[in-house]
Order: sequence, then structure tokens, then C-alpha cells
Amino acid sequence: MEKIKQNPIIRKIGINRIVLCGVLLLMYVIFCILSDNFVGMQRIMSALNYAYFLGFLSLGVTFVIATGGIDFSIGPVMFCSALISGYCLTHYGVPLAVSLVISILVGLMFGIFNGYFVAYWTVPPFIISMASMNIAKGLASVFTKTQSVSWPQSADANGWYRNLVKVGGFPVGLVIFLVFAILCSIILNQTKAGRYILSLGSNKEAVRLSGVNVKKWEMLAYIICGILVGIAAIFFVAAYTTVQPGYGDQYNNEAIAGCVMGGTSMAGGLASISGTVIGVFIIALLQEGILALGFTKDYQLIITGIIVIVAVYADVSTRRRKN
Amino acid sequence: MGDIILTMKDIDKSFPGVHALDHVNFEVRRGEVHALMGENGAGKSTLMKVLTGIYTKDSGTITFEGKEVEFHNTREAQDAGIVIVHQELNMLGHLTVAQNIFIGREFKKGIYIDDRRMNEEAKKLFDKLHIDIDPTEIMSNLTVGKQQMCEIAKAISHDAKVIIFDEPSAALTEAEIEELFKIIRDLRKQNLGIVYISHRMDEIKVITDRVTVMRDGCYVGTLITEKCTKDDIINMMVGRVIYEDPKTESAVPKDVPIVLKVENLNAGRMVQNVSFELRKGEILGFSGLMGAGRTETARAIFGADAKTSGDIYVNGKKVEINSPQDAVKCGIGYLSEDRKRFGIVVQKSVAENSTMASLENFVKGIFINKKEEKKIAQKYVESLATKTPSTDQLVVNLSGGNQQKIVIAKWLVRDCDILIFDEPTRGIDVGAKNEIYKLMNRLAEEGKSIIMISSEMTEILRMSDRIVVMCEGKKTGEIDISEASQELIMNMATREIE
Repeated sequence: MEKIKQNPIIRKIGINRIVLCGVLLLMYVIFCILSDNFVGMQRIMSALNYAYFLGFLSLGVTFVIATGGIDFSIGPVMFCSALISGYCLTHYGVPLAVSLVISILVGLMFGIFNGYFVAYWTVPPFIISMASMNIAKGLASVFTKTQSVSWPQSADANGWYRNLVKVGGFPVGLVIFLVFAILCSIILNQTKAGRYILSLGSNKEAVRLSGVNVKKWEMLAYIICGILVGIAAIFFVAAYTTVQPGYGDQYNNEAIAGCVMGGTSMAGGLASISGTVIGVFIIALLQEGILALGFTKDYQLIITGIIVIVAVYADVSTRRRKN
Repeated sequence: MGDIILTMKDIDKSFPGVHALDHVNFEVRRGEVHALMGENGAGKSTLMKVLTGIYTKDSGTITFEGKEVEFHNTREAQDAGIVIVHQELNMLGHLTVAQNIFIGREFKKGIYIDDRRMNEEAKKLFDKLHIDIDPTEIMSNLTVGKQQMCEIAKAISHDAKVIIFDEPSAALTEAEIEELFKIIRDLRKQNLGIVYISHRMDEIKVITDRVTVMRDGCYVGTLITEKCTKDDIINMMVGRVIYEDPKTESAVPKDVPIVLKVENLNAGRMVQNVSFELRKGEILGFSGLMGAGRTETARAIFGADAKTSGDIYVNGKKVEINSPQDAVKCGIGYLSEDRKRFGIVVQKSVAENSTMASLENFVKGIFINKKEEKKIAQKYVESLATKTPSTDQLVVNLSGGNQQKIVIAKWLVRDCDILIFDEPTRGIDVGAKNEIYKLMNRLAEEGKSIIMISSEMTEILRMSDRIVVMCEGKKTGEIDISEASQELIMNMATREIE
């Protein structure tokens, strides 16, 4: 085992990411064996639809968790974005392109809100994101008068946005998602912003005493998260078209689960975008598999809960061993 | 004074790399107040921790009330009748006074806590001590002085026979100290043995009967307080040979320009009206005992903590420093006494830590130029002789001395001209210490100006060109190295508080 760990190629990719890929493949095989209708592209495309929006949420929250923070508002904010922009599109005749921008702006707004209070007022992230979760839900309900919003279908005049997910049988969404993941990885690992975000997650006071404006960079992590949540909203409606106000919480846990499973430490300072991507695929495949096996969504909630506990425990125990 | 209640004989204790206690003797009689004195790191606290079971001794015997004892934790010591009143108070602010005193051994009535009985018992305790505190008061509403009295009452309630006071007066006002002394005299009358640890010479003269002095983990001697002078005690505390050739005169000419001038700096209780000047190429030592306000002064200058007033001039120009960012812009770098917490980011590499304060110089477009970053890190790894397998190594894997070098590299990469070293060699082994000293001398020769805060007298005398001495948040002296002596510095560091 030690020998395998020392192998330079394996070291470069990271042993836990290899294990995660193995888990992903294994899960697919198991689902194919247990369910008679799992083989083929249809299930995969369906799982991918789920992976897109969840992936953007998970990428976003990775930045926040890297600072040592947490954001429990991402799911509801995504719904809030989709509802407000969709309502503008369907009821006020706002052009589609503008609606998509509005969606991102709503996410950005919540990112600024969360980040400002966390960084400049030192409100605990847990508290502020719980608050903005409720604000997002309430705001969406008020704006839409508690009506669900249906975005246009593919055949409609304004339906081109659905091409973001798939054109013909080709998963365009996968390409876009991976491009964004690579962008995020570059931001996190190659830029000043990412360096400071990770560093302050590890030891904020040391970074501050190095003469760095830690408040600015901490806030930026929440802003990046907000933008990605706004994009997640677009991919949600592109896949499912209909959004209902008052929901969205369940995606918090799934996005966070994908993130911590991929090796991002809840204590901050350590984050892996590639890990997050694989983690998200596992969660998406899991939900598809559970539905295919005829179980209800509730079982998926239970399993996601367990995954979070196991992943966080693994993180905590490796860190304890290192100390 | 009565008969001997407690004897510690030939107590020996080593930690890896440090001989903390070297066959120390100590005794306490019933009805005496026995002062335990010594410089920082002389071994006073270690000795008391051995006594109360926090540390296990390597050898030696402890005899208490005629029987040899060995405690394994504070609880056992407490049960036997030896209690310690710590400098930091261990009280829960949201509980009442009585609840705090009886915490962990609450009176019960069925499944309910019997608050009324606890209040009554607490009242009895306070009466015995002639203290006027309402047992039902919430702890956080009391002043620090009153809280300390509760701590004493709690100690008494354990049926204590020996009470150890660890710098009890550090946080108290004059009036509160008076009250504390009244209580201590009372306890003495009740035939308790009292150990009193303090740096304040005047208090020692007022309240204690005997003084035992320790130095570098050794027992030096015991004096009758009445029959000795302050100078006698100081001589015993510092009478150490300085083997690492001290500087005899300043290496800095008198006419070099002043790079940093601090005027009437105030920041809370720990920094009061501090003024000084730092010349180019000079090493300015900051001496004083623990809690003298030296670190607080440095942090206020650096903008790490808010200051209430005071002016700072860099190269003759007045500057506004309200955050570390401002300070770094003025070319000031601060190396904290606590590297792990304030100096390095342990999960980041040597290279990443080296550029932490100057990352903008290594950015090309939006990307960090990692090649350039590694190059500069490698340069300082070589020039500081940092022992690390590569610049990719995470600093968590380096030793204390090498971590310190990474922090130094961070400020050198930034090209800071004024460096504040706060306890630069704390927790660093002897070999690495010498390297750090050489490095500081080299930096000074190259024209960097250094403020060195140190609690080690030898370090101060060996490195400094000039010495500022602080005591209780005030500057109490400034001496040129040619006039400096251990006695003089210690005298200034323990100046009586008016």
C-alpha cells in the first residue's frame, strides 16, 4: 500500500480521487446489475441533468468552505434566482438573455450579502446563511405570489436556453460544467484570490498579520459562490423548466456532501475542485440509481446524510493523525 | 510561623531539551507567606505544577503534613488540601458566585440543585474571609478583584491547608490589592501555609515572611524578607554568568538617521505613553518581565491591535497605521512570539509562505508566477540556511527554528526595513538560536533596523545596541548597551508601582 502511495503518478492525481472514481464506477455497475433498466444513455443523461446544477452549487460552496465558512443558503438562493428571473421572463416580458443575467445577479446579490456580513461584521457564516436562506425563500414567494414558475419548453420561441443542457443527444451541459470547473480550479490554485482564500481558511490571523486585506478576500469567496449559484439556477431550469417557491434546502446538503467527499476540509484551508466534481457525479448517480430501483427520494436524503458524516469524519480523523 | 507543613526536596524535572528543575528545595511553614521569585522561565510555575500533580517529577520527594505524597492530578492535591489560585481566573461568567464556588460538587435536593443551600454555604465562607460579596450575584458582574476573591473562597472551601497564589495581583487595582493582602494576612492568622508568586518587589516586602529565589531551574536560596533588601533579592535572581559574549558597546554610530519614532503610544492598560526611537542598522532590545506590555506595544505599532492614541514616524514622516496592511506599506514587518498562530500558514508550502506578504510582486496577469515564487523562496532558503527538502514542503513539517526562518524570509521577500522580532528564539534549540542571532546581526549590518522583544536576559545583553525596559505597560528605562547590566535592567523591570 505504501508503495502504491509513493508512485509519482498516483501521488499527483491523489489517492482519494482515485478511490472516488472507483466508487463512482462501482456504483454504476451495481445499479446496472440491480436495476434492469439502468443500462444505456437515458439514465446517464438524466443523472447528468442533476449533476449540472448541483455541480455549480458544489463548486460555489467549495470556495466558501475553503475559507473555513459554510453556506446553507445555496439551494434556496438557486430557487430564488430561478423564480425571480423566470417570473420576469414569463410575466413581465423581459427578454430571455436578460432573464438569465437577472438569475446570476440574484445569486451575486446574496453572495455579496452573505460575504459582507461574514467578513466585515464577523457574523458566523452558519447564522448569516441560515438567515439568507429564509430571506431567499420568502423573497421568491413574495415576488411570484407563491406561484410556481414554468420556463419555456424547448419548442417555444424562448426555448433556446435549454440547449445549454443538451443539443440533440450531445450533453452540452457537461462541457460547460467542466469548463467552469477548470476555471474554478485555476482561480483557486493559480491566482492571488485563490491563494489568499485558502490561506485565510487555514490561518486567518497569520495572513492578516502579513498585511493582507483578509476581509476583502473572504468576502470574495462568498461572491464567487453567489455567482455560481446564479448559474446553477439557469442549469436547473434548463433541465427541469418548472420551479416551485419554498423549496431548495435539500440541495444544500447534497452540494456540501459532494464538496467534502471530494476532499475539501470543513475546517478550511484545503480544497479540491476535481474532488468536488467527482463527488457531485457520485451524488447525482446515487439519486438516479435510487429512483431507478424504485425507492423514494427520502432514501436518498438518508444516504446523503450518512455520506456527509462519513466524509467529515474521515477529514477530521486524518487531520488528527497528522497532528 | 509554625511548624513545617510542606517540604519539597531535591525535585528534578526534565522536558525534552530542557532541564526545567534541577534538584530544587522548597518548604512552607504553617502561618507564613512564602514568596517564590525568579525571572521568566526560572522554574517557579513548573515547581508548583509538580506540587499540584499537573507534572510528574523525575525524582525527589514531597512531604506534606509529615507524610510523603505524590499527586497525580490537581483533584488529588485539592483533596489533600493544596490548592492553587491561578493568574487567569477559571470562572464561568454566566453562573452565580455560589454556583461557581461549588461547581462540580453541587448540593442536591433530590434531582434538583439546592441553590439556597449553596448560597448559604458561600455566605458562610465569605463571612469567614470578611469579604462582602453577594453569593447570588452573576459572576461576570463582579470586578476582576472580586472574582479573584471568589476564587480564593473556592480554594478555602476545599479545606485548604496550603494555598498557592500565582501572580494574584497582576490584574488588580491598588485598592483591590489592599483587600487581597487583608485576606492573605487573615489566612496567615488561621495558620495556613501560603505560597506567593509575584514579580512585584514592593509587594514581596509588604506581605511575605520569607523569599525563596530560583534561577534557571535551580534553587538559589531562601531569605528572611525582613532582613534583606530588594537588591539582595535581585542579585540572587540574576547572578548568572553570561557565557555568550555580550555586546559591550553599540555597533551603531550616534549620528545615523532615525527610521522609526514612536511618541506617546497608548493602547489599553498594557501600553501607556510609550515613546522611543529606532536608528538605522540598530538592534533595539525590549526587556521586561512577562506581562510588561512589550508584545502589546509591538502589536499596536504594527496595527494588529487598535491603539487609543500616539504618533508614529517612519523615516521622519508621520504615518497613519491602523492595520497590518498600513504597517507593511510603511516597511514594517512583525514576527510574532507565537509563530504557529500568527506567523505561518502550516498547510501551505515554504514558497507560498515566503511570498505571503508580497504576493502582488509575483503576479503575472491574473496568474501567480509560481516559477518566480519558487526562485525567490529558494534564494532565501539558501541565504538563511533553512533546512527543508524543497520549497514545496509544507511548513507544518519543519522544525521550530526553520519555521522561524520562513517567517523571516516572508519579511525579507517583502523587503521590510524595520523588523520587529517578538521572542525570536522562543522554543528553538540552542544551535538554531545561534543561527538566528547571527542572522539578526547580519541584517542589522545590512542596514535593517530591528526591534527585539526578549524575556531572556542573556539574549538582550548579547544582541542589543540599546535597551528599552518596560514594566506594567510603561517604559521604565532606556539604556545604552555600554551601561547595561543585569542588575540595572532587573531593577527597572521591577520598578515599584506608584
